[in-house]
Amino acid sequence: MLLSEKEAKQYTDKILSFVKADDAQVSVSSEKYSHLRFARNAFLTSGNVVEQGANVTVWIDQKRGSSSTSSLEDASLKAMVEEAEEIAIISPVDREYLPTLGPQQYRESSRFAEATANISLKERAQSISEILKESEKSKVISAGFHEARAVSSGFATKNNNFGFEKRTNARLSLTARTVDGASSGYFQRSSVDLAKLDTKRIADESIRKANEGRDPKTIDPGIYTVILEPQAVADLLGSVTIQFDARRAEEGRSPFSEQGGKTKIGQKIFDERINILSDPWNAKVPDSPWAQAGLPAEKIYFVKNGVLENLVYSRFWAKTKDTEPTRGPVNTILESSEPASSMEEMIRSTKRGLIVSRFWYIRTTDPRTASSTGLTRDGVWMVENGKIAYPVSNFRFNQSIVQMLNSGNVEMIGTPERIDDGELLPALKLKEFNFTSQSEAV
Amino acid sequence: MTISRRAFLKTTALALGATAVPSWAHSADLSGLPFPVFDKNALADTALSIAKKLGASYADIRINKYRIESVSTRERQVQSVAKGQNYGFGVRVLVNGTWGFAASPLVTAKEVERVAREAIDIAKANSVFQTKPIVIVDAPKVSGTWKTAMKRDPFDVPINEKTEFLMKLNEAALSVKGVAFVNSSMAWVNEQKFLATSDGSRVEQYVIRGVPNFSVTAVDRAKGDFQTRNALAQGSGMGWEYTSEYDWIGEAKQAGEEAVEKLNAKPIKPGNYDLVLHPSHLFLTIHESVGHSTELDRALLWEANYAGTSFLTPDKTNKLQFGSKIVNFFADRTQIGGLATIGWDDEGVAGQKWDIVKDGRFVGWQTTRSLAPLIGAKTSTGCLHADSWSSVPFPRMPNLSLAPSEEDISTDNLISDVENGIMIRGRGSYSIDQQRYNFQFGGQTFWEIKNGKVTGMLRDVAYQSRTTDFWNACDGLGGKSTYELPGTFNDGKGQPGQSNAVSHGCPSARFRNINVLNTAV
Repeated sequence: MLLSEKEAKQYTDKILSFVKADDAQVSVSSEKYSHLRFARNAFLTSGNVVEQGANVTVWIDQKRGSSSTSSLEDASLKAMVEEAEEIAIISPVDREYLPTLGPQQYRESSRFAEATANISLKERAQSISEILKESEKSKVISAGFHEARAVSSGFATKNNNFGFEKRTNARLSLTARTVDGASSGYFQRSSVDLAKLDTKRIADESIRKANEGRDPKTIDPGIYTVILEPQAVADLLGSVTIQFDARRAEEGRSPFSEQGGKTKIGQKIFDERINILSDPWNAKVPDSPWAQAGLPAEKIYFVKNGVLENLVYSRFWAKTKDTEPTRGPVNTILESSEPASSMEEMIRSTKRGLIVSRFWYIRTTDPRTASSTGLTRDGVWMVENGKIAYPVSNFRFNQSIVQMLNSGNVEMIGTPERIDDGELLPALKLKEFNFTSQSEAV
Repeated sequence: MTISRRAFLKTTALALGATAVPSWAHSADLSGLPFPVFDKNALADTALSIAKKLGASYADIRINKYRIESVSTRERQVQSVAKGQNYGFGVRVLVNGTWGFAASPLVTAKEVERVAREAIDIAKANSVFQTKPIVIVDAPKVSGTWKTAMKRDPFDVPINEKTEFLMKLNEAALSVKGVAFVNSSMAWVNEQKFLATSDGSRVEQYVIRGVPNFSVTAVDRAKGDFQTRNALAQGSGMGWEYTSEYDWIGEAKQAGEEAVEKLNAKPIKPGNYDLVLHPSHLFLTIHESVGHSTELDRALLWEANYAGTSFLTPDKTNKLQFGSKIVNFFADRTQIGGLATIGWDDEGVAGQKWDIVKDGRFVGWQTTRSLAPLIGAKTSTGCLHADSWSSVPFPRMPNLSLAPSEEDISTDNLISDVENGIMIRGRGSYSIDQQRYNFQFGGQTFWEIKNGKVTGMLRDVAYQSRTTDFWNACDGLGGKSTYELPGTFNDGKGQPGQSNAVSHGCPSARFRNINVLNTAV
């Protein structure tokens, strides 16, 4: 069911053959998806889905129209193009129009595995059943989600560009809760290749966390030193990467804005060890070989040694500002420019602080400082005199992400781990983190 | 905003329960791309007979078509106009107490047969290890058609009428001195759903939902400050008339004025305040603290790995004092204009109305046919929903609303009894824990109340509370004249994640002594 490169090219050629407009970009995709969801130590829902789709954006006299369809029949593709052209004819001029790209060279990014694309139903059922048996044995109640996704997609422009890629992602997340409902542990990891997804580690970690979180103490909210596990860092940084938009910064509506339409590019904004980058060829989080509008993706540092190096310029905004459009981001990587610290070192060096497993329901409260609120979830522990002392109940936090990563607040940076597709993030030890209220939720 | 949608909601017609199949049900070309014509009944016969033959105790097939249309703009330019359609079918089977599901966009008899067999294979592969077999309650056999009550189908409205509407809206905001940016958009969704179940039900539905939206930003470049005021009005289960019967243009101008005013508004001093919450704000607090906590799948740990569980458990039914005695919540899938208003859910249970909280006491759950038996209920309240033909249907929230006071109490009446408080309008930043105890909500505009009167604008306000403490602190509800039915278009839940649109009617309401913080500190 997944389209081959040859089939994708045939479809994009066919769609383009229907185009009468001055310019066009078209795409076609196909997907195989399989999931198994479980809860209360039993299977809940499970399904296989195949999907396909095509879409087209056209410009007529610089006026733009888009349409999409889930049918790849000739008549549907032709009707889709006609609809996009009808929309373009009656639309105002697209002031941000730039001609679509001509032929580009893409460096392949290897992120497809047959084992993920052709999952065995019986092997998956057996594998999850073993986790559920282990949960029963460990006296925890488990809920979780196993998924395997395979996508192939191609795109083309009227100016003769063409790109194609196949990708897969397998992921398992697991929440283990003690029978009394007083403690909960969570762990998730993903892999391009289902055969390399470490389901045992995921199960062991979540069950361990649930058992080690029994009988938590309730302590006062306030400012604490924290050790954020990689999952917690991934949860927080998901809400900050969008802040790297150049246009918003130059329009004065970003934490990286400076007065007079300037930005903080070139300024030290974070701890000098922090690098934030996008890299399509990173072996742990390989990603799309193309970025916006089909530009070949590149390895790009947004923050290097704590200095804001790049913001994301769209093709239109780059032309307006007489600069180059940004060839990314396609993924999010945070790493230290110095040797990484282990979790053990972080704990051993902490006189009093909290280990946070995960954050939940994070929402921006002030875009000027990238401040957010949210809650801890599925495991918080007090560290005293270099040792884990006892589990504690959850908190709500209110914290600026920018201040959090400031020089002087970042004490240690761990080894980045792949959390999910496109996320490679380390544990962080931070001097101060602001918890504002208690949460009795488990 | 003082404009209520309630008045015109009353006037809209409802085409419920017609026995003849209407023209739209089998139309090949409703607007935009032509949908192919399927013999849905024959395809359903194929799927259901194979499922039964291969051992399913229950099966259903949904053959659905979706259309979406979206327009987005900024300042004086249209950024994009897009239309899309997709269609396909999903087959769900219950074998040996285990669900199996498969779906495909290829709507042919041969593919229906393949997919039905695949759903059976999945259920059988998993049932070998099933430890808690799924049981479903019976549902009456139903047939018929249902259509959203509306005056004008938004998919019949030309694109240029839509772009002109948004351009006028942008102009209204930009006419205010100090406004630097405005973004506006609208999205319309049409679901054409066919459901056939192995217990003989066959229904067709035509559902329309829409959400105009805008965001106005004022920038003070000298101070390096910016403030944004988003739309107060929300998505609705109405037709195109929503764009004219609500004063969107007036609200856009008001938003411009308020965005500018926010730049110089007084920062809130943290502390405890009485709150008067407008429906444009309160609906989201209801959604998060009441809507999600009363979902039975959460209480029974089905959502433990993602959206979370609930502080409510079945043993608290009819016992827990959820709120003060004036607090009454009801679920209602028949509410005209509601985003979750339907004829039947995705397993053939009719849309209905029932109590969730009565006189402050928690009394009712949101259930499906497989959840009902787990609390000893004989029937489902009709909350099974899938956001696509390719999604597994699972428990989703109905419209869940706070009943207004029987007395004619205005928002000003509620304010008049507040010495030191804040009135909040609009949805802002919102966050709540995974068991729905601890929450923090911001808003769009905040108004200081001193000695019974609104005295000026505040900024950087958010309040934190605990669900039952908060609803027990409610000591005043507005009457019917203050009641509105706002909704949220994209409520995420489940794995794989799905989106649900749902409305929460409510009057203005007053809450005493709530913890307020300054989000800029």
